[in-house]
Amino acid sequence: MTSRQTLAEVILQPGTGKAIELLKGQILRIEQVEGGQCADFNCFNLHDYKEFMHCGRTRTVHGFHPTTGTFMWSAPPRERAMLYILKDTVGRNDVLFPRCSAYVYEAAYGFVVHTNCHDIQAEAQREYGLTPDDVHDSFNLFMCTGVDEDGHAFMTRQTSKPGDHVDLLALMDVLAVPNVCGADVMKTSNFALKPLKLTVFAATDADLAKVPSVPTLASQRTPKDFRNPVIKTDRPLRRDPAYRAEFPNTPIVVTELSVPLAPEELAMFNAVKRSDIYGDDDAAALRDLLFSWWEERFLQAHAGAPAIESK
Amino acid sequence: MAETVVKLRLNQQQLELIDRTIAQGVAPDRVSLVRLALREYAAARQADAAIEAAR
Repeated sequence: MTSRQTLAEVILQPGTGKAIELLKGQILRIEQVEGGQCADFNCFNLHDYKEFMHCGRTRTVHGFHPTTGTFMWSAPPRERAMLYILKDTVGRNDVLFPRCSAYVYEAAYGFVVHTNCHDIQAEAQREYGLTPDDVHDSFNLFMCTGVDEDGHAFMTRQTSKPGDHVDLLALMDVLAVPNVCGADVMKTSNFALKPLKLTVFAATDADLAKVPSVPTLASQRTPKDFRNPVIKTDRPLRRDPAYRAEFPNTPIVVTELSVPLAPEELAMFNAVKRSDIYGDDDAAALRDLLFSWWEERFLQAHAGAPAIESK
Repeated sequence: MAETVVKLRLNQQQLELIDRTIAQGVAPDRVSLVRLALREYAAARQADAAIEAAR
């Protein structure tokens, strides 16, 4: 296909959201109508709602402001690329803040009832049988945020204009749930609620060709790999008397490795070892040095984040 | 002058990573790998210090 075919168009009115079946190879455009409106976004695997977009994993891979050329990842143990951000005309999104909630508006502003992203999401996804407990942290499109010197996340006004948009390409069949952020008494959407336009396109071959390949690994597990693949259907938690713990790689066994250091090596070690952390425990300091070196020389991603380039 | 022996304490996962690194040909054995790490790490810190001092 050489030109995009429009499959659906929806105007999201302020205070509302919409669950949309977005199939693999389709693009959801979320577009500013008046400008200055935050869009909260959740998504689920259409065929297994327990796999959902995970802001924590996404921000670990792509930072606090993912934009064009990044992915939305599902939570462990699935850890799959669900959507690809094909285009982002503003380049400022947020994965620091959770969705706003009724509690925020009651506790901080005194509202008994107020539009809020959690409840809007819950109401939109109720169309597919999901409950308020199934709402998860949102990918906040167009939301301008940062972290202050004290380590607190902050939000400020945004600069999006009419026509600005983000194009999300589905890499699997998903239930996409965008909503008009309900925050009109915060800077999130410049103190007003405005509509957003949604358009679903069929991706072109050129669109699909822009997606980098990502690895498929044994650690990306699905229910067929789970010791307990059954979704619990009642609410109380009760101990399973048949449970026997099977933690991987346990017991952890420590082995001693004697490393002789020549005088010049000992001098090198003494010059760089982290005595501030390990005191006179040279064994711990040398272990730290060994794995710090390994990170510097071999790690392909930020420490703690998965490498996403296919080898 | 005599060598000083440091007794590293490593668990089986850490040893696996070390052994996979050795298998790539980075060093011939575990002790050699630790010594290589020490030399390269110290050299990198020296280089950093030199750059900092030149500012």
